[in-house]
Amino acid sequence: MQKLFIATIIALTISSTAFAEKEFLNHTRLMDHGDGHFMDMDGGMIMGQNTDVLPGGCDEIEATEEITVHAGHKYAEKFPGRMYAFDIQEYHFKPCTKLTVHFINDDSIRHQWMMHGLPRYLYPKGMFHMELTGPGKISGTLIFPPNDKTYLVHCDISQHMEKGMKAQLKIGKGSGDLPSIPGVTANVIQDDYRDSIPEPAVVAPATAKLAAESSDSVISGVLIIGLAIGLVLAPLLATRFKGMSAGEIVSTVFELVAKGIGIVIKLITSLINLVSSKKSIELSDK
Amino acid sequence: MQKKTLSILLGVAVALMPILASAAVGLPKTVKVDKGPVETICSAGEPEWRKAQTVEGVKIQESLRCNPDNPAQIAAEVKGTNNISMETLMNTYYAADAIIKKNDMDGDGDPDLIIIKLEVAELNGHSPDFDGLVPTFDIAPGVQPGMWVFAPKSRGMATNSFVGTDANPLLRAPSPVIRVEQGDTVWIQLENSHYFPHTIHLHGVDHPWIDNSGEGNDGVPQTSDKFVLPGQSKTYEIRPRQPGTFVYHCHVQTHVHLAMGLVGMLIVEENRPNNWVQTFNVGAGQVRHPSKAILEEYDSEYDLHYHAMDKELHSIIQEYNDPRLIAKKMNREYDLTDSTEDYHTLNGRSFPYTLRESIIVAEPDKNIKLRMFNSSGEMMAIHTHGHKATITHYDGVEHNPIAQITRDVYDIAPAQRNDLRISTVDDGFHSYGEGIWIFHDHREKGITTNGMNPGGNVSALVYKKYLNEVGLPMGIGESVVPLFTKKFHDRKLPVWQDIDGWNSLGEIDGKGYKAPAAGTPMQVEAGPKSLKAILEAESASAEGEDSSFSNFIFGLLIGIALYILFLNREKIMAMVSSKGGS
Repeated sequence: MQKLFIATIIALTISSTAFAEKEFLNHTRLMDHGDGHFMDMDGGMIMGQNTDVLPGGCDEIEATEEITVHAGHKYAEKFPGRMYAFDIQEYHFKPCTKLTVHFINDDSIRHQWMMHGLPRYLYPKGMFHMELTGPGKISGTLIFPPNDKTYLVHCDISQHMEKGMKAQLKIGKGSGDLPSIPGVTANVIQDDYRDSIPEPAVVAPATAKLAAESSDSVISGVLIIGLAIGLVLAPLLATRFKGMSAGEIVSTVFELVAKGIGIVIKLITSLINLVSSKKSIELSDK
Repeated sequence: MQKKTLSILLGVAVALMPILASAAVGLPKTVKVDKGPVETICSAGEPEWRKAQTVEGVKIQESLRCNPDNPAQIAAEVKGTNNISMETLMNTYYAADAIIKKNDMDGDGDPDLIIIKLEVAELNGHSPDFDGLVPTFDIAPGVQPGMWVFAPKSRGMATNSFVGTDANPLLRAPSPVIRVEQGDTVWIQLENSHYFPHTIHLHGVDHPWIDNSGEGNDGVPQTSDKFVLPGQSKTYEIRPRQPGTFVYHCHVQTHVHLAMGLVGMLIVEENRPNNWVQTFNVGAGQVRHPSKAILEEYDSEYDLHYHAMDKELHSIIQEYNDPRLIAKKMNREYDLTDSTEDYHTLNGRSFPYTLRESIIVAEPDKNIKLRMFNSSGEMMAIHTHGHKATITHYDGVEHNPIAQITRDVYDIAPAQRNDLRISTVDDGFHSYGEGIWIFHDHREKGITTNGMNPGGNVSALVYKKYLNEVGLPMGIGESVVPLFTKKFHDRKLPVWQDIDGWNSLGEIDGKGYKAPAAGTPMQVEAGPKSLKAILEAESASAEGEDSSFSNFIFGLLIGIALYILFLNREKIMAMVSSKGGS
């Protein structure tokens, strides 16, 4: 029983810490796995680290640079239709630059800063790659080759690059622009937005108001007309129905109504004839 | 003169007709369709993985199937990524913090705090950069519906290699089976790496509606939970008191998110001392490290997750890139009530790929535990050939042992779980003996892929002696090779091509074929008349007499009437005029 009690206490203390905000981890103590591969048990990882080997064609390190790159959902805000982004979409460096990247993850999920296209003799799979398992910071270094080239930088987690987490890094003049970089280049395969025209949001309530108003005025107008007709017709009808029995009055009213309907039908048929005859004329013209 | 030439020409034509006709009366010829590239049915991969072995002190059962689970991965799943060597971890795709196991609070030799991290991964999704899908996961050769899955937290690239686009082994359908021990404190941390909001609902699992911190714990946005937004994470806390086969799934826009694949099995194993359970069974199928309680009664255990997909829904994420567009198409334009399920999968794949991953390997006189789960939208009727299994549990709750039913079709409603016991005792009842016995949905659409057979959720229970060295069943029926082609699944290959020496049911080559003038029927001898003809003739003769007679009577009556009218013409005129006058 006592054992169970202690267990519960331990469980509660642990769980109370678990629901605090995910803590920001500074991944500085990484284990060296060789070949530029560093990793810790907290989910920080660097692959392709190179702090001292000069790529072929570089006589010396031309420049030493440091950048801080943020990754997260909030950096996509300025790019509608994107969901994740880096805070910077384009980088420019001189050939043979030694670059240290301080990568900061502002989300509570995994993100990567992965670069492709580096010489494979120096960088396994031609990659320089930093990964953070959650909020935190990690720093990695590499040295660029001498040729002008544009490198792809992205997060390789499923759909992160596709939904905006993509950038390019140009050495020298670069070798062109990569597509679908938010705010820089267009998508190769583009979405069709022709069906995405919203209904005019302002007009809708205005017309509703108008209709309400007009229906009010219609009622009052009709009321006046009805009143006028009633006033004029009442004496006429009175003379007509004079001396008639109730039954006769009713039959007379029906007669009048029938006549009225007859006139209306005639009108409609003549209209239809008009329309259909027009059609036939058009056809004969053709 | 002209008339003569014309008649000569016509005469010649008529004379030639039989010759021309005989040349063209044949039907179009048969051609053989090239199968195109055939996939290796089993690319043996890592034969060592099949053997029974111990990694990091974790006993791992033999797995003879073509694609066995990676033993290093199982070691990580049993011990936790925090209790294995870096070397073992590097042999997996797991993130270092994917499965944390610690705190043996009751002192029974196994950890009692389990922290599980799940990401949300898209499979076969859209790319704005090229006309293809990323990362790819084929449910059958060339069949790639867009899917979402909960995935164990991985590290590195989403793809298996730098060159290909195929997803790494942790990113796959179905969402992984989660196994915990009864009474464990389990934190399931959802790290939403997707572009839509999601949650986790723990279906059937004992869980408090709110957690210790007062946050919602039921995963339902309409009642308890805030959305877990892209880039955010949330921890669900459970301490399940009851064992059983349960479910976890996303509860945001559930009608589509569940179908998209955000659904998996969650199994609570009975509490036993020193009971390290395999926290994930990625891709379901055989459990290579069954729990203590299971091994008391059974020799092996299999998780069978059935699912189905409507291709219209699953193509939306492939046609659009903008998340707002996808949300509109999926939430407001797609109408689930008009949907039909096209793809039927078992453990994320359809036949013939099920042969690689989802076979049940049997030996005589053993007990096999099956946990069956239906996450499709319709009732299923799973049938086992050669065996009658006993349903021991419904929805994780044990059925009264004396009332348990043994049968050969197991009906299983959407979201339902059946636990089955298969006994391989050859008594003509539980088992009919050794063989390659398929098991499948007996709604026939369940054995199709997009309506075409063979496909769907068919798999097989295979006795060891019928398995070859790469873990494929050694069938003695027709070859399955043509099924391992994209051409077949693209409906380009005749199902019965080359079934005999001259390909009598092969593809028709109708190119340039012109149908000859239709033949004319010719009476060889006065054969028996058809019944229809006889009946028609009879009724015609009967009507002939009848109608002429009735016509005669009718004419007579009219004549009499006219005569009477004529006779009384003055009276009638008077009547008419008098009426008019009044």
